[in-house]
Amino acid sequence: MIEVNYKHKLNNFLLDVSFTIPKTGITVLFGPSGSGKTSVLNLMSGLRNDEDKENNSKFILNNRVIDDSVHRIRIEPWFRNIAYVFQDHRLFPHMNTKENILFGYKRCNSTLKPDDLIKKFKIEELLGHYPEQLSGGQKQRVSMVRALLSQPELLILDEPLSALDYTSRQELLPYIENIHKELDIPIVYVSHDIKEVLRLADYILIMNKGKIVDQGDIADLCISQPLLTQEEGASFILEARVTKIIKEDKLVQLDCGETILITAESMQLNDKIRVLIHARDVSLCLSPPQDSSILNCVPICVEDLQTDENGKLRVIAKIGEQTIVSLISHRSARQLNIEKGKNMYAQFKATAMIK
Amino acid sequence: MIELSPILVTLKLATITTLILLLIGTPLAWWLSNTSSKSKVFIESIVALPLVLPPTVLGFYLLLALSPDGFIGHLWSYISNTPLSFSFAGLVIGSVIYSMPFVVQPLQASFEMVGKPLQQAAYTLGASSFDTFKNIVLPLSKRGFLVAITLGFAHTVGEFGVVLMIGGNIPEVTQVLSIIIYDHVEVLEYTQAHYYSIGLLVFSFIVLFITYSLNRKLMVRI
Repeated sequence: MIEVNYKHKLNNFLLDVSFTIPKTGITVLFGPSGSGKTSVLNLMSGLRNDEDKENNSKFILNNRVIDDSVHRIRIEPWFRNIAYVFQDHRLFPHMNTKENILFGYKRCNSTLKPDDLIKKFKIEELLGHYPEQLSGGQKQRVSMVRALLSQPELLILDEPLSALDYTSRQELLPYIENIHKELDIPIVYVSHDIKEVLRLADYILIMNKGKIVDQGDIADLCISQPLLTQEEGASFILEARVTKIIKEDKLVQLDCGETILITAESMQLNDKIRVLIHARDVSLCLSPPQDSSILNCVPICVEDLQTDENGKLRVIAKIGEQTIVSLISHRSARQLNIEKGKNMYAQFKATAMIK
Repeated sequence: MIELSPILVTLKLATITTLILLLIGTPLAWWLSNTSSKSKVFIESIVALPLVLPPTVLGFYLLLALSPDGFIGHLWSYISNTPLSFSFAGLVIGSVIYSMPFVVQPLQASFEMVGKPLQQAAYTLGASSFDTFKNIVLPLSKRGFLVAITLGFAHTVGEFGVVLMIGGNIPEVTQVLSIIIYDHVEVLEYTQAHYYSIGLLVFSFIVLFITYSLNRKLMVRI
């Protein structure tokens, strides 16, 4: 169990957070810059500045008390066993890749085999290179291996991709996804990039002005939390698998319980992906239209009706095992006589945000 | 003709002073580069004082402090049963204070250049603060140390005012190069004065040339 409670005075606001982190998977700490995300990470990893005296803390990591202001416990950062991948790689400039990645490894009783991770992160060729000889993406890969080899109980990644260009980012994302598939450690990932979040997150903590304003599974939060998708109205996520690539139309066919088409490039067959669709882009009809430009029309079963803060009606329905949301007016709902349990069809365009 | 003893006394004084300064200066510079304590500015100012103070002022107060009635002098004679004023040991104390900023400032600057981020990275990888200092900060501060050592040494070699006040000009004990040049000039022995002066000039230039070409950023600042 990972329990985090911090009350801490920052320059312009009070940081007051309290949350638990699932023992597996990636927990994303999401929020605008300046909302206190990095401060939370620095408190957890023990890197906070000493001048910040006023604080109230309790942090428990796998039954080990790390911080407890009531009992005046504060474990030094080097005894916490929390590894940290920084926004800037922070590789040691006087050490080559091999010396860098073994720095933490030598200082813990690690049961990991360095060679395995070296291979998985494809840095075999870089072992003799010094940081200044590496590209941005390579540096961050080395930095991840270095963190992982210290066999942490918790891995913190603070916007590890934000300093990189688009290509390096795309190249690095699969490595991050693989970390939690292959090493069973909890990961806290900080980001304000929604695409990264959609792709990586299992659980989300949304932060604003020093507070956790919402938290939950990614699929639930997309529907209920406009802060997340930065879009008016709800959005939802469909987990899908690429079943066919239609190159000439720049489309891919996905299986998400039903077969749908989405505009996308650079996808591989059988890729598992997440598709983000805005509820306002989904329309409902009683029978599948015969002559529509809209490519996707799937059968759904209405599960719930909610009125949102703007007076619109949120129709929540099931598409296979997954949830689909449509934002329509009350008037349309009356015309179509929509009610719980009704079988209908949902239409949406092939454009959607893809992880 | 040229005597060897002032050269030897000078080199001995500069070497010992530099070694002591490294021992004191390193932790002091480390503290200064890391602390957020309010006393930081106070300590920094005290360390930098010899940069602006006339050496005679420093020498005057040292003379008082080192005399048998002075605090340091009294303590010294209590422990070692020898007087401190006009002794080599007294000269070392004076030089250490006088050359302090030339060692502390480059070290502090180079520690600050290594910066918190790398130290923090080391901490999260399980390295304690001493471990981090030894394996990250020290190797990355090599240039800083080189600059500190050369400047500390050279500045001690070139010291005059303080030595004049507290040294006593005793041949083979406290008579250093800068003093003997002064002595020769006073009695119009310009040839001898030239020999020592040219030597010092060339030596100082070489030291500064090396230091500057190593890194400008680490130079002494007020």
